[in-house]
Amino acid sequence: MPLSNSWGIKMNSPAKPFVSQELTWTPFFSLLKREVQRFLKVAVQTLLAPMINSGLYLLIFGLSLGSRIQISDGTSYLSFLIPGLIMMGCLNNAFSNSSSSVVGSKYGGELEDYKAAPLSSQQIIWAISLGGLFRGLLVGLVTFIVGEAFLYFQNGEFLSIQHPVLLVFFLTVGGLSFAKLGLSAAFWAKSFDHLAAFGTFILMPLIYLGGVFYSLEHLSPFWQTLTQFNPLFYFINGVRYSILGASDVNVWMAFGISLIMLLLFHGFALFSLKGGSFNRW
Amino acid sequence: MIPLKVSNLVKKYGDLEAVKNVSFEIQSGEIFGLLGPNGAGKTSIISSITTIEKPTSGSIELFGGRVERENKAAKAILGVVPQELVNHGFFSAFEVLEFHSGYYGIRSNKKHIEFLLNKLGLWEHRDKKIKQMSGGMKRRLLIAKALVHQPKLLLLDEPTAGVDIELRASLWDFVRELRDSGTTILLTTHYLEEAEELCDRVGVINHGKLIKIGPTKQLIKELTSRQVAIYLKNKLPPCQHINLIKSNAQEKSMLFEISNQTGIGELLAQLKFPMEDIIDIQIQEGRLEDAFVKLLGDKNELTS
Ligand SMILES: Nc1ncnc2c1ncn2[C@@H]1O[C@H](COP(=O)(O)OP(=O)(O)OP(=O)(O)O)[C@@H](O)[C@H]1O
Ligand SMILES: [Mg+2]
Repeated sequence: MPLSNSWGIKMNSPAKPFVSQELTWTPFFSLLKREVQRFLKVAVQTLLAPMINSGLYLLIFGLSLGSRIQISDGTSYLSFLIPGLIMMGCLNNAFSNSSSSVVGSKYGGELEDYKAAPLSSQQIIWAISLGGLFRGLLVGLVTFIVGEAFLYFQNGEFLSIQHPVLLVFFLTVGGLSFAKLGLSAAFWAKSFDHLAAFGTFILMPLIYLGGVFYSLEHLSPFWQTLTQFNPLFYFINGVRYSILGASDVNVWMAFGISLIMLLLFHGFALFSLKGGSFNRW
Repeated sequence: MIPLKVSNLVKKYGDLEAVKNVSFEIQSGEIFGLLGPNGAGKTSIISSITTIEKPTSGSIELFGGRVERENKAAKAILGVVPQELVNHGFFSAFEVLEFHSGYYGIRSNKKHIEFLLNKLGLWEHRDKKIKQMSGGMKRRLLIAKALVHQPKLLLLDEPTAGVDIELRASLWDFVRELRDSGTTILLTTHYLEEAEELCDRVGVINHGKLIKIGPTKQLIKELTSRQVAIYLKNKLPPCQHINLIKSNAQEKSMLFEISNQTGIGELLAQLKFPMEDIIDIQIQEGRLEDAFVKLLGDKNELTS
């Protein structure tokens, strides 16, 4: 097929005068927009699946097993579980959004485009991790709504949020941190399996052992001590405190550790972008 | 200002030295061809210019600005068509071009995108996802992507690989049109007739070394010879001329090979054939392909 019949057109004519290039913010916002649109295009996988996931947890742990578990201050196990599930969904999805975006772009060769374009490393990191955060927040919100429905069904009452500002803080810092972690892992990954192994061997154990499903008081002293070295423990309890008004750790300690985690993971991401590979698989 | 200046570029992958101390310049408004066999180092040079690969040593300047990972100004005037096709997951051709415009700092670029899609015969495929496109369509989309921001320097790494014959000719026209409207172009290709047709100057690279650079015509002239076939009316006269390479008694023709510096008149004067005996003289000029083969020494090396 011929390219076009209209060879008379001069290359520059239609767009003259040439649109000026705004290189400070436009590249960044374009990448952010791409990241958000990417997961919205496959909302069934990225939003509906996590919703079903949390629904199942609530059904199995919250309703059936939960009636046998006692929390010392008298909160129902279901109320105890909901904040943990919200944070788990947020962290998990922030991580998988940025990691699968990067890995997918590596697979298609698109990641090289970012490197050739006038996008700085900082911009790439923030655009991709904010994309992950948005998905994490959406999943957190959906989990909250599903949780409220379960709670109403069981106890005939809703859970009210004690400290909304803190809640937004912990979700935002946690989501950003995990999106950055996902980005770092994806930059180093040499294959899809490589990335999956990271999730299975490191991420999942940290999340499951981070106090989503149980309180410290249920553990033996050995596990209590070990759990305090798990950074996720602070993210999860920060959210629990924000919603219930009480948790296993001092909220300001959780606050500080969360911020340190964010800085650390941002550093990881920067290091990964400089040292990891943009090359296609 | 010089659009592209590569100085003492070295690129190593581990122990392999893919680019060995290469220096060259591209002049404003020209089409420059980088030629060489597979694995010569062409893509490595291009990837160094786009910062996809980090040079081991040496420097690259675009319009006087040093090319570095974080130098946005230099990157914003550069467009590149990579050798390998790119996929874009869930996005359509139009969306891909919009995002790409954004990465280069252009917020609304609808008109120019429409122009490019039309120009490259992709308008009716604009809503297709990339994975639903044929190989040739994907390559044309790559070209459109490289042009969304109207770059001042365009790098084309084998832009016509896998493109059908008709389309290839139109692409050539398009490339020339781009040059005429002020874009400087560097391209690589394995089709030497394409390079001969398009490139104002070429550089030949082999095993990572730049072995020859110059205006295409001059290179051909310097490295090839002309073949002169003379057809006679009567039987062939005895001839011991050193440039004679073949005579055919049945056709009554003789074939001479002379350097591009020797004139036809000179040859005829030496041969002293009677004018009325000559029916026809056919001259075949050398081709870039001949020059290329001569430069690389052995034709077998083409695939090594
Ligand atoms: N990422 C890489 N890692 C290791 N070696 C590489 C890499 N990329 C290229 N090479 C090697 O560097 C050399 C030059 O490769 P390059 O792709 O630059 O060649 P080319 O001239 O573009 O070849 P072609 O015409 O086949 O595209 C080859 O020997 C190749 O194997
Ligand atoms: Mg190549």
